[in-house]
Amino acid sequence: MNPNRVLASLAQRGPSLDLSTLDLCFLAALHLRAESAAMTSFSEEQLADVFEQVESVLAAAAEPGQPAKQRRSTHAIRRLREQRMIARVDGAGIVRAGEYALTRLANGIIEFFLEDDTLTRDSLTVLTRSLLVGLGEILTAAKAAHTEEEWRMGVISPLRVTMGDLANGIERRQCGFDLQQEEFQREIAGLLHADWFGAVARCQELLESTSGTLNELNQILLRDTHQLQSLLQDIQEHAAEAGVADAEGAARTVVDQVDRIAAWGSARQRAWSEYYQYVHRYLRDVVRLDPARTLTHRLREHLAGTAGKQFALTLASAPPIRLLREVEIPPEEKPPVRRPRKEREQGLADAPAENPQAILEARVRGALAEGARALGVVTERVIAEVAEEERFVTTGRVAQAVARLGDPEATAERAWVPMQDGLMIEEWTVRVVAEPESQPEKEAS
Amino acid sequence: MSSDGSPRFARLEDVILDEAYPEVDLALRRGRHIDRDDVAWYTFLVDAEDHLEPLYRRFGCELIHRSDGYFYLLPTGDALGKRHLSSGEMLVGQALTLLYLEPSTLEQGGTVTREQVLGHLAGVVGADALVRVMNPKRRKYDERVAQETVRNKVAEALRRLATLGFVEIVEEDRIRLRSALMRFAEPVRGTKAPEAALARLVAEGELVLAEDDSASDSESESESESESESESESESESESESESESESESESESESESEPESVSDPEGGAPS
Repeated sequence: MNPNRVLASLAQRGPSLDLSTLDLCFLAALHLRAESAAMTSFSEEQLADVFEQVESVLAAAAEPGQPAKQRRSTHAIRRLREQRMIARVDGAGIVRAGEYALTRLANGIIEFFLEDDTLTRDSLTVLTRSLLVGLGEILTAAKAAHTEEEWRMGVISPLRVTMGDLANGIERRQCGFDLQQEEFQREIAGLLHADWFGAVARCQELLESTSGTLNELNQILLRDTHQLQSLLQDIQEHAAEAGVADAEGAARTVVDQVDRIAAWGSARQRAWSEYYQYVHRYLRDVVRLDPARTLTHRLREHLAGTAGKQFALTLASAPPIRLLREVEIPPEEKPPVRRPRKEREQGLADAPAENPQAILEARVRGALAEGARALGVVTERVIAEVAEEERFVTTGRVAQAVARLGDPEATAERAWVPMQDGLMIEEWTVRVVAEPESQPEKEAS
Repeated sequence: MSSDGSPRFARLEDVILDEAYPEVDLALRRGRHIDRDDVAWYTFLVDAEDHLEPLYRRFGCELIHRSDGYFYLLPTGDALGKRHLSSGEMLVGQALTLLYLEPSTLEQGGTVTREQVLGHLAGVVGADALVRVMNPKRRKYDERVAQETVRNKVAEALRRLATLGFVEIVEEDRIRLRSALMRFAEPVRGTKAPEAALARLVAEGELVLAEDDSASDSESESESESESESESESESESESESESESESESESESESESEPESVSDPEGGAPS
């Protein structure tokens, strides 16, 4: 799950909560009534009735001149429905009066305020025992499972649902215990504020009882988490042997939860130990030695400059010992940057020019000198020496050279003769009029 | 004491050869207060106290062990260097001591925030008086600049007090108060009149009266004067510094500030 995407989606939906004290009291009253009367839903009349009772309880705090109760209860129900605290469960729309139930969100909020989730020794014992029994059954099912259905029904689903919920229950209760600890620290400070010296005995009593509870909780956690881990490991091994990846994954998730539970225990124990020592020291060194808080008053007066002379504490301040550093040999210097001595680009060199036309003419001249007197014969000889793709062009150039070097005989009808590669040319008869070698000189002159 | 009940150190040589000795010795000589929260060092000092007291006396100083649970070294002669806390450090130290005594600090497990310290100081001393104390040389000042200076000076004092073991900066903003702070309350602690207690402590060399410490205070005053706008920058750095960094800084400061009144043993300060 991508957290950014989840957040973006949440922001897009724009959820917000706006609950007044009256709203919370109303929800709490519904929650308590549902628990006591084992009700799963409320009719509109029941909601209005509960709202009326809540309002009568809060009457002292209510502002004067408020609207009629019925209108306000309707308004409150509408607001709570908009905020998903109450859901209509009958699905009848406007056909008949509705049935309403508290949502999971509302129950969670109310349970938080009612501190229903405080971790006590009893609740922790019950939960961990249930976990142990449940995991034992799952292990048995894992040993006996052969089919996919058996794995799903006997191992995967119980691990994901039952065991996950039980572990969540412990974690939720741990959060409740954290809140209780905060409250406890406030209580000790409040006791000392109210009765500086007289509160010592009560503070020590509180400390002892809380540390006793925490010790017992940790012992249970240490003992039970060890057994839980062992069972889960067995389940994981069976799932791995059977090649059921889902069961292995579900067991791993519960292992992580149990790890978190154990880590919470040790962390709280450590934090509590520090706090315990600090408070004991405080009670011994500060409260018991100064039962009338004279020290605080005198120090406050001194600090305010209304009593006593100002002074300054003397401290030792020896100069630091001078230790010579080890000499570090600097690393070898890098060679200086220089221009390359060799030219990167090679210079141009003179090379004899090649004139393809002259070569062609030499070949034509050679063919004529060897006695060829037909254009077809000359062309055949010359193009046999050139590449295939150049033969078409060369054929034209041969005709030009033959016309210049020889004297083609013009007749009215000229025969077409085939050449290589499907070429055809008009056949000429050629008379040699001059020596082939002297022709270029003559042209030049 | 060792596990079998016999003393941990039979001779001074055993103390000096202990792994903890060099660090503890250096810390004490630099004015550090060592309390029960420094578990290993404190245990070492408790075990070695009988051997170390005569040793340090030869250097002209007393190893003091208070019933509140902390040790420190008090120079009584000139053999070992000494200094006195500045007025700003004293003011902050006393305010922290008051906070240490408050039950509300107990609720937070002995920790306070910088804002709480500033608020407490302003509440006890008064905002105007606080600005005057922290800006002693300036007759006219801009209110905003003066308040900024107060914040910087308080932060600087907190950092120095942390290097001396009076407090511990646990997070950037949170400060754990330690038992050595009770030293600031010594003159007003006993059942005798504070003046008599003050006179006794002055005679013992524990403290000096503000009128008498002009020489020593000049050192810190000159520091104060030299602090300029760049102070805020260095402050922000120093706030995030670890304790060890702070110590090294204070070392360099003391090195440049004070004349070496005594020559320490270059081999680690361990006298033979």
